[in-house]
Amino acid sequence: MNKARIGTAVATATALALTTAACGSSADGGDGGPKDSLTWMTMLHTPTTPEKGGVIETALEEHTGMDIEFQWVPDASKEEKLNAALASGELADLVSLTVIDDTQVRSALTSGMFWDVEDYLDEFPNLARIPDATLDAARIDGELYGVPYQKPAARYGVVVRQDWLDNLGLEVPHTIDELTEVARAFTEDDPDGNGKDDTVGFYDREESFRVGFRSLAGYFGAGQQFEVTDDGQVVPAATTDAFKEAMEWYRGVYAGGWVNQEFVTVQKQNQQDGIAQGKGGIVVTGLFEAKNYNALARSADPDTPMEWALVNDITYDDVPRRILSDTNGGMGGWLAIPTTEVETEDDLRAVLGFIDKLMDPEAFELMTNGIEGEHFETDADGVVTVIDQTAWEQEVQPFSSSRPSELVTTYQSSDEYVNLGNELMAQNAEYMVANPAQSLTSETFDRQWSTLEQQLNDAYNQYITGQIEMADYEATIESLRGQGLDAIVDEYSASYAEANG
Amino acid sequence: MPMVVATEPAPAPPRPRRRSPLLRHHGLYLMAVPGILYFLLFKYAPMGGLVIAFQDYMPFLGIGGSPWVGFDHFVRLFTEDTFLVLLRNTVVVSLLLLVFAFPVPIVLALLLNEVRTRAFRRTVQSVIYLPHFLSWVIVASIFYVLLSTDGGSVNNLVVAAGGEPIPFLTDPDWLRPLYVGQEIWKGAGWGTIVYLAAMTAVDVQLYEAAELDGANRLRQTWHVTLPAIRPTIVVMFILAIGDFLELGFEHMFLVMNSLNRQVGEIFDTYVYTAGIQNGQLSYAAAVGLFKGLVGLLLVVMANRLAKRFGEEGVY
Repeated sequence: MNKARIGTAVATATALALTTAACGSSADGGDGGPKDSLTWMTMLHTPTTPEKGGVIETALEEHTGMDIEFQWVPDASKEEKLNAALASGELADLVSLTVIDDTQVRSALTSGMFWDVEDYLDEFPNLARIPDATLDAARIDGELYGVPYQKPAARYGVVVRQDWLDNLGLEVPHTIDELTEVARAFTEDDPDGNGKDDTVGFYDREESFRVGFRSLAGYFGAGQQFEVTDDGQVVPAATTDAFKEAMEWYRGVYAGGWVNQEFVTVQKQNQQDGIAQGKGGIVVTGLFEAKNYNALARSADPDTPMEWALVNDITYDDVPRRILSDTNGGMGGWLAIPTTEVETEDDLRAVLGFIDKLMDPEAFELMTNGIEGEHFETDADGVVTVIDQTAWEQEVQPFSSSRPSELVTTYQSSDEYVNLGNELMAQNAEYMVANPAQSLTSETFDRQWSTLEQQLNDAYNQYITGQIEMADYEATIESLRGQGLDAIVDEYSASYAEANG
Repeated sequence: MPMVVATEPAPAPPRPRRRSPLLRHHGLYLMAVPGILYFLLFKYAPMGGLVIAFQDYMPFLGIGGSPWVGFDHFVRLFTEDTFLVLLRNTVVVSLLLLVFAFPVPIVLALLLNEVRTRAFRRTVQSVIYLPHFLSWVIVASIFYVLLSTDGGSVNNLVVAAGGEPIPFLTDPDWLRPLYVGQEIWKGAGWGTIVYLAAMTAVDVQLYEAAELDGANRLRQTWHVTLPAIRPTIVVMFILAIGDFLELGFEHMFLVMNSLNRQVGEIFDTYVYTAGIQNGQLSYAAAVGLFKGLVGLLLVVMANRLAKRFGEEGVY
């Protein structure tokens, strides 16, 4: 009785909300006509949002025939914003979910909040061509709750200041030992020749455990977040010997002062600024970043001597060459469509058609290079030159991380770092190590992982900075076993055994 | 209002029936309506959401559809190690604030009260108010830039003086002093307003009498000013006690990082990390509810105590 009354109240409230929503947006399906406008909640990797109704937005609207309203979420706060949006149900027609292992995101996906798009993909030319491997990576419990973002399989590497290497007469490093020596020299031998002790080797940031260091640990043989042991157990990479060996090495680097000492307080933006200011000479990051560091440095000082060596083949000891995938093997998250916002199959098809059109070469060019003559120009050999860097950064760059596929066209750029970066990222694919647990299921993982990972992350930081010892790190792992770590291992291992017979 | 007073006949013989106060002062009550509505709408109505503390709340299912779990989340809260850490961190920081930050505005106000040059006093007042208007983000950023070991001016000075750089921002031992220091820097000036106002109400004759009795400035402050503002101090103290577990999320969140989290994680930040970042909405609601109940209990106790000592209390 009571329950029924609450149910009615909720239903009324929902209906009310829906009516208001429908009134709010212009010509929103419903009465016959196909959906011709949509809202899109997507991530912003640049400091400022592009102007509403700007040139790229207008051009995209023209190309897709869809009236688009972007809701930009700053990438740094995406977890909070997405969780809040998911919790309150205030979603857009199209939601970019790029944090794929977040507890809340996964439970939202499996709770049926979003359309299962599997059966519709074949109706659209570009969506039909999404490789099976990417679709596999994007499935949760065998269901596809969104169109996967397609990215290069592994974009990471190590970028090193070439001009500093030259100043000190050093070679480009290709092993961990060489890299360590370069880090030492960059710190102690005054690579910028200004006579001051104001540089370090590695320039790391707050997310070391999840980003920079994780990639380095991969060279030592650790897996991407999870790995499968010889006896078929799926275990977190952070508990393995290879990972701890890498931690010991990195602690040595820290103790030597060869990494910025307060990296735990450094945000992504601070990191980029620090690098552009020449505070550090080694960055573990995407191989496409060198171009951005240079642009940033040049905007402050046009005569900066900054040059980069891009390295994608660091190896350690006798561990064969490998690189952890930072994109889940080329799957960068989902373009998910909430059932609460897009209610009919016809509207769903309209939204999918929109995504499909964004994967056309024309739309890809708009979101990558901008408008020819305004942002870039192409010469007879097809080499793309950005002609207005400022306009490109403000008007075009924000859209580039929202491209449903980054693999549509590879442009020849007049910027050598772009071409080299593309080439090295393509080479990476062969050595790529992906997370084996990605398509496995563990209820405990979905519920507890965020909490467990944070504690591992804290213990990692404390160990690297010398606050605790390896025994304490191991004690943290032991205490997490009872809090769900063991359950995750059991559930994943069972799921793995099932999948691999 | 004057109208209401004017139409009221002066002391008249008792009338057969008096209009209820609600009707008599309808103008005043009308003016209170927006305030009451505000509290109903933004303070009481959201309390309904607390029921998710007794559910396994899933946004997609909503409050109506999520399963009920009774006191599971509270059991988890009280049995996990985290609880003791949170309680310790919160209580320690609150005590530090009561001991070090609470008296500062009183002392400042007493000092200001003694300044006889009006212009000087006004200037000092304005200058110490200003930090109150800066948001915590700005305050934390300023301190970050000053205290960083990576080119922060304070550490540059330390190094220039021949010392080792001090990791103010990451050393767990520095977090609490830093936190309390920032609270004082930002809030002390603003806090003087209440006390200064109370001091203006002190009868000047009392000072004259004290002076005649041979009391110097210090004695006058001790025997006249302080007793006069004691009720104000007590009320402010009760209010501060009510916020004992309610340190506020923003400040701590901004100065906390993974190296000082062990001493920095307090109930407010934990609610945020558990609820918003890690998506355990029900659990976070349970933590928040517990915190609120303890705060209520403390206010009631402090109020009783104040009344026993002959003060007025807040209600």
